[in-house]
Amino acid sequence: MAYSNPRLANGTKHSDRYKKAKLPAAEIVRIHHARKPIMITLSVWKALFLREAVSRLSAGRAAWLWLLLEPVLHVTYVLVIYTAIRVRTVGGIETAVWLMVGMLGFFMFRRTAAQVMNGIGANRLLFTYRQVKPVDSVLVRACLEGFLMILISIILFSGAALLGLAVIPDDPLAVLEAFLGLWMVGLGFGLASSVAVELVPEIGKLIGFILRPLYMISGVLLPIGSVPQPYRDYLLFNPIAHGLEAVRLGFSPHYHAVAELSIPYIYGFAMVTMFLGLALHNRFATRLVMQ
Amino acid sequence: MIIVDDVYKRYQTDHGPGKWVLKGVTFTIPPKVSVGLIGGNGAGKSTLLRLIGGVDQPNLGRIERRSRVSWPMGFGGGLQGSLTGRQNAKFVCRIHGHEKNIPERLAYIQDFAELGEAFDEPVKTYSSGMRARLQFGLSLAFDFDIYISDEVTGTGDAAFKKKAADAFKNLIGHASLIMVSHGEGTLRQFCSAGIWLHEGKAHWRDNIEDAIKAYRETIRT
Repeated sequence: MAYSNPRLANGTKHSDRYKKAKLPAAEIVRIHHARKPIMITLSVWKALFLREAVSRLSAGRAAWLWLLLEPVLHVTYVLVIYTAIRVRTVGGIETAVWLMVGMLGFFMFRRTAAQVMNGIGANRLLFTYRQVKPVDSVLVRACLEGFLMILISIILFSGAALLGLAVIPDDPLAVLEAFLGLWMVGLGFGLASSVAVELVPEIGKLIGFILRPLYMISGVLLPIGSVPQPYRDYLLFNPIAHGLEAVRLGFSPHYHAVAELSIPYIYGFAMVTMFLGLALHNRFATRLVMQ
Repeated sequence: MIIVDDVYKRYQTDHGPGKWVLKGVTFTIPPKVSVGLIGGNGAGKSTLLRLIGGVDQPNLGRIERRSRVSWPMGFGGGLQGSLTGRQNAKFVCRIHGHEKNIPERLAYIQDFAELGEAFDEPVKTYSSGMRARLQFGLSLAFDFDIYISDEVTGTGDAAFKKKAADAFKNLIGHASLIMVSHGEGTLRQFCSAGIWLHEGKAHWRDNIEDAIKAYRETIRT
């Protein structure tokens, strides 16, 4: 990496590029010394991250604005509906905060999962470069999405604070812990499904069917705690429902979270799916780049 | 040096595996020898280049690259349409670990490709000749032992072809080429050895003329 191309540094023209390129012996050795795999991976990650960020933020007119407006508008219209039917508090905290926090948590999962799941197909062109592996593009997308969601959350909370809502979390670390868990569940789910979708494209449609009702049953709009047993137990197999309750509990210790709330369950689920996803990526590494 | 050992390749189609494109291809390309691939359409020339470039994997057999091999240039692969030429170039610099001297390399690429203001326009607005210029400049900005060219000069104009020819000539001595071209003149100009691809087999000829002759004979009959 430290090797700098002599012809470029001198600004020499292409035609005499090699006449001047008398390198000391040590340099020649270094040219032929291959980069370490970890260095290659790190530089690929950095390049991919910047590239993904540019294409996310500059695709179409004011792409960054839509990135921000989508969750804002979503929260706003649900909030209007809830205000119209006069729900002032849910489980002991303000409806607006309850909704906003839940939705951001849910988006953290869904956007990460969706971006990661489609990561291989979207970056197929880049596999022209041997250095770029499918798993790289997928991991980088997850990081970028997590980063964007944090930015969006900060902007939304700042806006809500200006409107006089109590958005300062009581236990910020618990909120971060829950957000991280949701992000990891999204990453694990996306990792496994990205391989599955590439190998069997029909699975993509099935996953679409699964993801759609997830919004309803994760407790974004309806508190899980208000669902009677035994159905509540069924809903709590879903790690996202745990995650959303945990985020809200982090915001206010007075929030009546479901008693079954379990942080280890979220992280356990995330770890298992991430392991599965990475194993699939490892197993099918050549199949994924083959055509 | 590149060792291709008994390589088989077929592509997956919507209705099961397709027919074999390469059926037991074996050859060794010695260091510093430029090779031209010749054969009819669909003979597997581009497939073989992609396999040598490490972009695709053979179904059976083994390919060993004991040198630094470029990515296969051609067909607009490796350029993202929504990003500008400059952004694409930066990306390629970064993945090759040249974070520190990006400005110099960009200057070189810009100088070579001669795209003018189009360098800062999205690649999807480029003509095929402009893409070829960019790709060519991109790969020449890095030091490889072997450059792989898939008909990349074919779409350029006369000025670019001359520039490309000069660039290729400058490579002789430290780097070699593996190229596909339907222009026999181009092949003669740059390659000393030839590989004639016919019915899934590769036939190595030490002299490119022999490879061209062998190919011509199959057309006549």
